[in-house]
Formats: sequence, C-alpha cells, structure tokens
Amino acid sequence: MTGGLFSLPLAFAAPLALLGLLSLPVIWLLIRVTPPRPRRLPFPPLKIILDSARKDETPARTPWWLLLLRLALATLACLAFAGPIWNPPAASTGGAAPLLIVLDDGWAAAPTWESRVAFAIGAAESAGRRGAAVAVAAVSDGAREIAPTDASRAIESLRAKQPQPIEPPRAAVAPAIENFATRNKDARVLWLADGLEQGGARAFAEKLSALFGSSLEIASDAHRPRGLAGPRNEAQGLVVRVLRAGAGAPDGMARALDLKGLMLAEAPFSFGAGDEAEAKIVLPVELRNEVARLEIRGERSAGAVALLDERWKRRRVGLASGASADVAQPLLAPNYYVSRALAPYADVRQARPGSTDPIGALLDDGVDMLIVSDMAIAPGETHDRIAKFIENGGALVRFAGTRLAGANDDLTPVRLRRTGRVLGGALSWETPKKLSPFDDKSPFSGLRIPDDVTVSRQVLAEPEPGLAARTWAQLADQTPLVTAEKRGKGLLVLFHITADTTWSNLPISGLFPEMLRKVATLAGSSADVAPAEQDIANDEPRQKIETLSPQRMLDGFGAFVSPPATARAIAANFQGPASLDHPPGFYGPADSAIAINALEPEAKLVAADFSGVAARRVEIEQARAIDLRAPLMAAAFLLLLADALASLWLSGGLPRLGARRATTALLLLGLLSSAPFDGAPRFLAPARAQQKPTAKPQPAPSRRDMDAALSTRLAYVVTGDARVDETSRAGLVSLTQTLSQRTALSPGEPVGVDPQRDELAFYPMIYWPVVATRPQPGALATQKIAAYMKQGGTVIFDTRDALNARAGSSTPEGDWLRRMLEGVDVPELELTPRDHVVTKTFYLIDNFVGRSANGQTWIEALPPEPADGEARPARSGDSVSPIIIVSNDLAAGWAGDRYGEPLFPLTPGGPRQREMALRGGVNLVMYTLTGNYKADQVHVRDLLNRLGH
Amino acid sequence: MADARLIDATQAAHAPRCRQVALDLARRLPAALVAAKEIAASLMHGVHGRRRAGVGETFWQFRPFASGEAAQNIDWRRSARDDRLYVREREWEAAHTLWLWMDLSPSMGFVSDLAREPKVDRALSLGLAAADLLVRGGERVGLLGLSRAFATRDIVDRLGEVLAVEAGRDIERAELPPAVALGPRMRAILIGDFLIEPKLFAERLSTIAARGASGHMVVIADPVEETFPFAGHVELVDSDSPATLRLGRAESWRADYEARLARHRAEIFDIARAHNFSVLVHRTDRPASEALIALRARLEEGGAQGLRA
Repeated sequence: MTGGLFSLPLAFAAPLALLGLLSLPVIWLLIRVTPPRPRRLPFPPLKIILDSARKDETPARTPWWLLLLRLALATLACLAFAGPIWNPPAASTGGAAPLLIVLDDGWAAAPTWESRVAFAIGAAESAGRRGAAVAVAAVSDGAREIAPTDASRAIESLRAKQPQPIEPPRAAVAPAIENFATRNKDARVLWLADGLEQGGARAFAEKLSALFGSSLEIASDAHRPRGLAGPRNEAQGLVVRVLRAGAGAPDGMARALDLKGLMLAEAPFSFGAGDEAEAKIVLPVELRNEVARLEIRGERSAGAVALLDERWKRRRVGLASGASADVAQPLLAPNYYVSRALAPYADVRQARPGSTDPIGALLDDGVDMLIVSDMAIAPGETHDRIAKFIENGGALVRFAGTRLAGANDDLTPVRLRRTGRVLGGALSWETPKKLSPFDDKSPFSGLRIPDDVTVSRQVLAEPEPGLAARTWAQLADQTPLVTAEKRGKGLLVLFHITADTTWSNLPISGLFPEMLRKVATLAGSSADVAPAEQDIANDEPRQKIETLSPQRMLDGFGAFVSPPATARAIAANFQGPASLDHPPGFYGPADSAIAINALEPEAKLVAADFSGVAARRVEIEQARAIDLRAPLMAAAFLLLLADALASLWLSGGLPRLGARRATTALLLLGLLSSAPFDGAPRFLAPARAQQKPTAKPQPAPSRRDMDAALSTRLAYVVTGDARVDETSRAGLVSLTQTLSQRTALSPGEPVGVDPQRDELAFYPMIYWPVVATRPQPGALATQKIAAYMKQGGTVIFDTRDALNARAGSSTPEGDWLRRMLEGVDVPELELTPRDHVVTKTFYLIDNFVGRSANGQTWIEALPPEPADGEARPARSGDSVSPIIIVSNDLAAGWAGDRYGEPLFPLTPGGPRQREMALRGGVNLVMYTLTGNYKADQVHVRDLLNRLGH
Repeated sequence: MADARLIDATQAAHAPRCRQVALDLARRLPAALVAAKEIAASLMHGVHGRRRAGVGETFWQFRPFASGEAAQNIDWRRSARDDRLYVREREWEAAHTLWLWMDLSPSMGFVSDLAREPKVDRALSLGLAAADLLVRGGERVGLLGLSRAFATRDIVDRLGEVLAVEAGRDIERAELPPAVALGPRMRAILIGDFLIEPKLFAERLSTIAARGASGHMVVIADPVEETFPFAGHVELVDSDSPATLRLGRAESWRADYEARLARHRAEIFDIARAHNFSVLVHRTDRPASEALIALRARLEEGGAQGLRA
C-alpha cells in the first residue's frame, strides 16, 4: 500500500495496475477507427438505384462523446483494479515495543462499540505491521493474566469481545496490568476509555500513568452515554430518571415496552442545563402494569434500560365503607386514611356515594384489592360475589368497627367474638396497648414500629387452633391485630381495628401505609402469595425460596439474552448494583420475576476527568478507511451499460426494442382479454362445465357448431332408423320453407343432431321422433338433453303412435320414451289446454296434427288459473315448456316434395290437414322462439287503454 | 435523422383497417362520374344517364315518329295531344367499368416517421375511396385480376372482403399489376410505388392496354424515399430482395440518389403516358384527400396531365 497521493487521503493497494492507464491512447485510437454498427434501415427504392450505386464503405468516425464514454470506462476500470482506498489507516509510530490495548467494556461503551473495536483493531494492525506483539485486556476480564500475542490473534480476540451490562470493574483488572508492566517495561498502552467516571476511571488512569509513563494513550470518543435509573410508578404515570455524563448528550425520548418488546408509550425528556432529567410516561393503569422495560430510544446500552417487575405494578384498589356521612367530614370518614396511604402505590377507587350496590360497582370496575371498612357483609348476592372474587385471586381487606363487631359473617380470616375489647377506656383498667414486633414469618417483618402507636379498642378473635399462623400482627399481649387467610387463589385480611382513628392511632402513623402497601403487593400476585400463605396455614417457615435463578438477562447493548454461564442466582432480598455475577435482567419465576437494573435508583453519571494525567489523548476516529474499489467498479459497469445503450441507439436498435415491447404488451393484453371468452362456453353449457374441470381446454368449435351458431335452424335427433331420419329431415325442410314464406323467421337448413356427440345449445327446438326399436341413448346423451332442457331449449318428442294407441294400454314408443326420460328432470305435464299460448303464437289452432289427427299433445303444466281472474284468451307459464310430447307423427305431416305436395298419405287426409299440420309446426317454432310474448300481446289493447288514461 | 420500418407481414390484412378511412374519405366528395368524352357502347347498363338518348329508364325527350319505326314505340298519350305522332325517348344510361389495382408487395409496407401511415394503407384508402366515389356515380368497379366488376352500394366492403381473402393467402405479392388485357375503353387505376424495372413495367402495361384500355396511375411515395434524409453510417436493406447497401456517409449520397430517382420516375412516367395513362405522384405525408380530389378530377375530365398531388 502506498502512502497518500499528493495531499489527498488516497492510497492504492496495487499501484502497478495504474500502468494500465498508459494504454489509454491506444484504446482511443482503436475506438476511433472502429465505429459502431451502422443503422439498418429498410429502403424500398434500393433496388432501382443499386446499379448506379458506388460502394461507399468508408465508415463515419466514432462520435466524440462515445469516445469519451469509453475512455472514461477504461480509466475507471484501471483505477478500480489499482485498489484505491480513501482515508487509509495512518501509519502509527513506535518501534517493536509490545502494545497493550485496554478496553473499557462496560455498558457505557456499548453504543459506539463497533467503532471502538474497529479502532482497536486498527491499532493492533499497525502494531502488527511493525512487528510488535499485542496484548488485549478487557476491563471485565478481571485478574486474568495478560499475555502479548501476535497481532492477528489479538485482532481475533478483539473481534470476539462484547460489552458487558455493568460498570467496568477497573480495579479488578489493575493487578494483571501491573504484572504485565513488570514483565514488559517498554510496553505502550492504549486505553479505550468509555468516558464515565463510574468504575474509578481517574484512579485507573493515574495508575496506568504511573505504570507506563508517557507511553500511555487514552482514546475516547465524542459519544456521551445516557442512562435510566430509578423508575417509579406514580399516580399519573411511570417516572424515570434520565442521566447523562456532562453536556453533549442530547435530549430524546424514553419509551415503555412490554415483555414481548411491543412499544406501549413514549415520552420526551429534556436535560436543560443539568445532567439529569425526568421522563414521565403517562399510561392507563392496565397498560402501565404491562410495562416491563423502559429504555432511551436510540441508545443501545444496558444502562439505558430500566426493567420493571411486580414491585412497580400499581394495584387497583376499591374502597367501600358501611358509614353513611362520608363526604361531609372527610377526616372522620373511615376510608380517608386508607386512600391517602394507598394513593401513591395503587390506583384507588372510591365507591360512589349513594350507590345502591357500592361493592358490586367496585367489583365491576375490576379491582385487584377490595378494602371494606366497618361493614357487615350479609349473606346474599354481594356476599357471593365477594366470595367468588376472593376465590378468583382477589384480596379483601376488612377493617373492624362497630358494625362488624355486631354482625356475624364468614368473610373474616378468623372467627370473631361478638363483643370487642376496649382498652384504656373509662370502664377499663387496662391502658391502650402497643404493637409487638412483627414476627419474621409475617409479611410485615422488617417494618419499623413507631413507639407511639397504640390501640385502644379492637375486635377479638376466638382462640382456635391455627390462629397464630394466621396472625400477621399482634398487640403486645399477643391478641391478634391483623389476621389473614388464604382462600382459593385470593386473600382475606382483617385489621381488627377501624380504618379511622377512633379505635387506634395506627392509621395516622407512618407504619400504616407501609403495611397497606405490603398487603397490596401480596394482593395482585396470587402466584407469589400462594406458597407463602400455604406456609402460614401449615405453620411452616416462610421464605422457602431463598434464591432466584437468572431468567432473562440484558447484554451490554440492552437486548434480552438468555443468561450467560457466569450469571448466578440472587437472594430473594438482593439489593445492590448489578455485577458480572449478577448481570441486570429478570430473576426468578416468569410471573413474579425480580428485576435487577444496571443503574441503581440513586445512581448518577459523572464524566471522567483525566486532566493532569500524563497521557496522550486520542480521538477514536469515526472516519474509517473506505475501499473505493466497489464504487468504481459499479460506476464502470454503469458506463458499460450506457455504452451498450448508446451503441444500440446509434445502430437504430432502440426504436425496434420499443416496438417489441409494444407487441409484448399487446400480446399480454390479448391474453387478458381472451379470459372472458373462456367463460362464455361455460355459461352456455353449465352442466357440461360442472362435470368436467374447467382447467381442461375447451376444444375449438367445430365447423358445424359455427354454422349452427350463425343462423337459427331447426334440428332433429338422428335416431339411426334411416327412414325415420329422412322423414324428419324432409318434414323440417318443409316447415323451414313454410316459416320463411309466412313469418319473419328465415331458418337455415335443418340439421340432424346426435345428442351424444353434438353441442345442442344452438338449437331453439329439437324434434325427436321416437323409434322403439332403437337402443336407448347413453348416459351422456341423457345428461346433455337434461341440461339442454334446463337452459331453455325445447324438445318435441313424437311417439308417432296415435294410430296404434288404445286407451289404457301403452305402446312400445311410449314405454321407450318413459324409460329414456327416467334420468331427466321432467316437469309436470298436462294435456295442452285450449287457452295455452302455444295454440295462439301464430295461428289459432286447436291441436297439433301430423300424419294423424287424433293424437294428444302433452306440455308442461301451467300454473293454476287465478280463481277470481277474468277469463283470459291465452295463458302461459313463466318460460317456454322444455318438453312437448306429441304422437301425431308431425314430421310426416309436414313433409312435402319440391312442389309442396305431401309426401305421406295423411289420416284422415285432405289438403286441409296438411295445412293444419304446418300451422301447428309454425306455432311450435314461434312458441319456442317467442315464449309467453303472445300471451302478453293479447292484452295489448287493454294496456294501451290504460296508458291512455 | 429519419427512422423507417416495414410493417409486419401479419398486419397484411389491410383492407378492414382502411375501410373506414376510405369511407370517410369518399363521403367528403361528391360522386364521381367518369368523363364521357369518348363514349363507347359498353354492354353493361349503368344507372346514370349519358345526357343523350339511348337505352335507359328515365325520360329523355319526345321526338317525332319516323316512318318505318315500330309502331309500338309511339307514345300514344303524347301523340293524342296533336296531330303528329311522337316517340318517347329515354336517356341512354350506361356505365363505365374501372379496374382497380393496388400494390400489396412488401415494399408498400414501408413507413418512415415522417409519414402519416404506411404506403399500403394509403394506397388502399385511396383505391377504396375512389371505388366508392365511382360506384356512387353509377360506374362499375372491380379489382384487376381478383374480382369481377360490381356496382353495389357496399362496394368498399365487397372489395375489402376480396382483398382480405387475398391478403390471407400466403403468396409472394407481385410488384406489377396482373397481366390482364382489359377490354377497349375500360379504365384502370393503378396505385403503387412503381419501384420496378422500367422495362418490366413497360411490358406489363402494354399487355394491359393492348386492347385499348387507358387509365390512371397513382404513385405513392414515402417522404423519406424522395428526400433521403439519412446521415452517417447506414446500411440500407431492400424490402423485396435480400440486397443491402452499406453507406459510410449517407448524407454525401443524397444528390446522387435524388438524380437517380428522378431518372427512374421519368422513365416510368414516359411509359405510362405512352400507353395513355395519366400519372399522379402522392406522398404519404400529405393528406389522402388531396390525392383523392386530384384523382377524381382526372377521372371526370378524362386525364389532365398534372403530375403532383
């Protein structure tokens, strides 16, 4: 690596590659004589001018800008290969003396950890280049021996270092450094200080200075760490102290997160001139209790995290009393002192005065703890609710009073004597009693009892076995003052005195809030209470859980990690700062963990002051060496792309590309727009689409289907009997001719269809002569016929048996048809009524005659005539009948030769019968095409009359 | 520098595309009547009168009965008014037959970004519009070598169908009109770019005009073909043959090209005039109506010899 180029902080890793720049003139020449590909243009007149054209092959010069582009490309590539580095690491001075790197690895170093380690690695690298040995000592390594190694191993160990979530214990590492100093007299020392006095920074600096003299370098950076300490759960919200060491650390935001890391709230803080600020995070109590972690946004260190456990949770406490005139004289109100005592720690709710069911309302509010002073709870709904509330984990705290003493209910931890005891009253010999010290099994143990607390009156418990275990506090004469009992998951506590000062001055002592707070702590955490209360009941020593094992720890960056191997369990009453053995984090069971924080509640951050220490001060540089190879390569590549585009443009390829894109777009558009057409056949033949998966491609429509779709035409079913089929065809041809002559309809040539094979959707009407000797159509054909009828097509079955039929017996054709229609959903049929619209669609006829005239015509039954309606000339259903069954051999009746003469002898006969047959046919076709239109048409006069009015 | 391309062979079903254009164009002009300067007895009856007595349906004049005529010619109603006998004459109604040919060869697919549309589109629009004008005037129009002559009202659609069928056939399209010897006094309208060997053209035209037919030629040219606005390194590719020409500096070649093109045109035009065909040059950057008006004028006048439209 060469040094800086001129005065620029630029160096080249492979300067020889710069010789490639010498080739630029050659490239210039080459490019200049090699023009881009010519534009290819179609030119129709070319042919006629070719004869006179002289071949002019002299190419045009490469345009100057393309030349410039390519030269720039070549230059960039050469430069990139030379491996340029911006801000090359400065070559440090010093001989081969070993270098000791002392690394502050407390939480304060975490926010800038990467740049610190990079700086240390840079120092180690440059020492390595000088051939000096390098030793690395992190402050948290403690008294481990420090041995110089070669630079690469030192770099490896530097990379492996992680910040610890504690104050750097610098005193612990001092002996090891001392040892190192005695062994390496000429060693140089580089200390990367974290900028905080915490952990004895100045003393450490003086010590290093004493050991190494002027070869000490202290490196620090501009980052000023911030920390969170002493979170408090106050009435309005969570309040936390934000600390900083010296001006320079900016204001910011503190935020509250729950255990899963979801952000619940955020609050700004501002230091002003001082080094301490308060962030107040206002949250509803329910959400506040979810908060497990406070942190400074953007500050990545364990010190900027404050963990909250059960102790910070605010309980919701409901207060109710039996007294009536609470409001008028607040100081006499029984709940006044209770609410004052609990307000800082809990969310206190008073029962609304005048409420009919105060306790019920409080329970509806979802309180964790219910405090009832001097109130008898009579058996009833309220009693049951409270009992259930306790069973489910609530805490009921009762205060005695005259009402309680007089009543008798079972919501007390102990049985009470009917009458209370009065001490030191006018009728008593005894003086008011003092409290005896709390038993160490009691939750109140450890609380200091003021001397002047006296009790002048109390309710007494019936002496019974287990009373002692249920007693949390007692008077000097061993009579219980506070008794408690575990019920279900909940807790029942009775203060044997009133909540006001009439029976005792305890409520106005400093002890009272402490006691209530302890009770409140026990109230919400039923899981925590359970074993303890069990202990009370079983008269066994409490505090079985001596230690709490580490559960979720913070690492130096303030992120939750699983406990490191060095983390040890803490005692349940652990106090004091976090250490390597007890890193900050949660200890104990998940639902009642205890939080240990990196900063103690009263902690302060002080900036380290190294003035007067003989050491060279170094800034930890933020500017890192930047390898310019990648950006240069990228730029060269972009230029290459530009060059390709330019060449393409010069040879006229760009518009062609554009055209291709356009055709692609058109193609896509075509594909998209063809999608609806896929749907059309499905719509036409739903039954078919249902049996077959739609993914199967539709076959291309056949020629025959195309023709059928293009013109309306009559169709007959090819039965396979040649004579019958020919008759059908001839009949339909005649009918088609008649239709063209007499009506507006000009049908196409009639076709014979095979329901098994052909698509039927195109034909409005299908004539089906029944031939009893032919086999039944297949299942597919039946299905298709059924679908056709459902879609609105009409099938005319002609049994052609009118001459053979006898009343009461069936004909072979009739049986054949009946069998065939078994698989088809045939509507109810009736003999064509005289007023059916089919008899009036074109001609007014009575019957459908064919070769014979006596057969009957069956058609879908019409809805019954309205009883009160006037007689209508024509009736119709809502749709066209899907099936018409005739027996008169219609086709034979219609069929005629070229001259219009009938082909078949008719029975009874005569030209009139053939005419009537054709008229019937016309009516049938008109019926299938127009539906019930004619039925409406007969009313048109009435309708017009009505419109006229 | 101008850019140019050939439209795709798949876009060759031109006729439907140009149909509406042609109709719009034709509807802007009154019906055209082929000038009856040298009226000949066409066997076909037309619907428009020739301003003289002849075979027809509309009344033309009464003339005195000449003895020897068939008595059934006498118009008795007129004759009853006075003592003389009159014969009712009807106007002679005859139609001309015009044959239309439009060049559909690949070179007609050429379009540059200076032009409004490909040459072939312009040729089709012009041809179909002319057909519509003529049919409205009562003439019969057919496609040379492709169809018979029609006089139907939907001539544009009919000819369009024929063209569409023709376009659907996968054949190499000739640059020359088909060698059909037209009957005497028939007219031909040839529309194309006529970028062909003059010798071949002369041969073919003499075949067409062998029996005395005359006609009109419309030469469709793209502006690029006339002005040669190219510069720099260009490779020119012929549309009908694989010939290519590479030009180092196209701009230096412009003058030569223009001279050569003028010579070629002069040869072609001379041949056309020798066969009694009028010539009209039309550039696709000009509106089509311009050419149509000029063409109509020629049809009606029987061939003024102006060149440009």
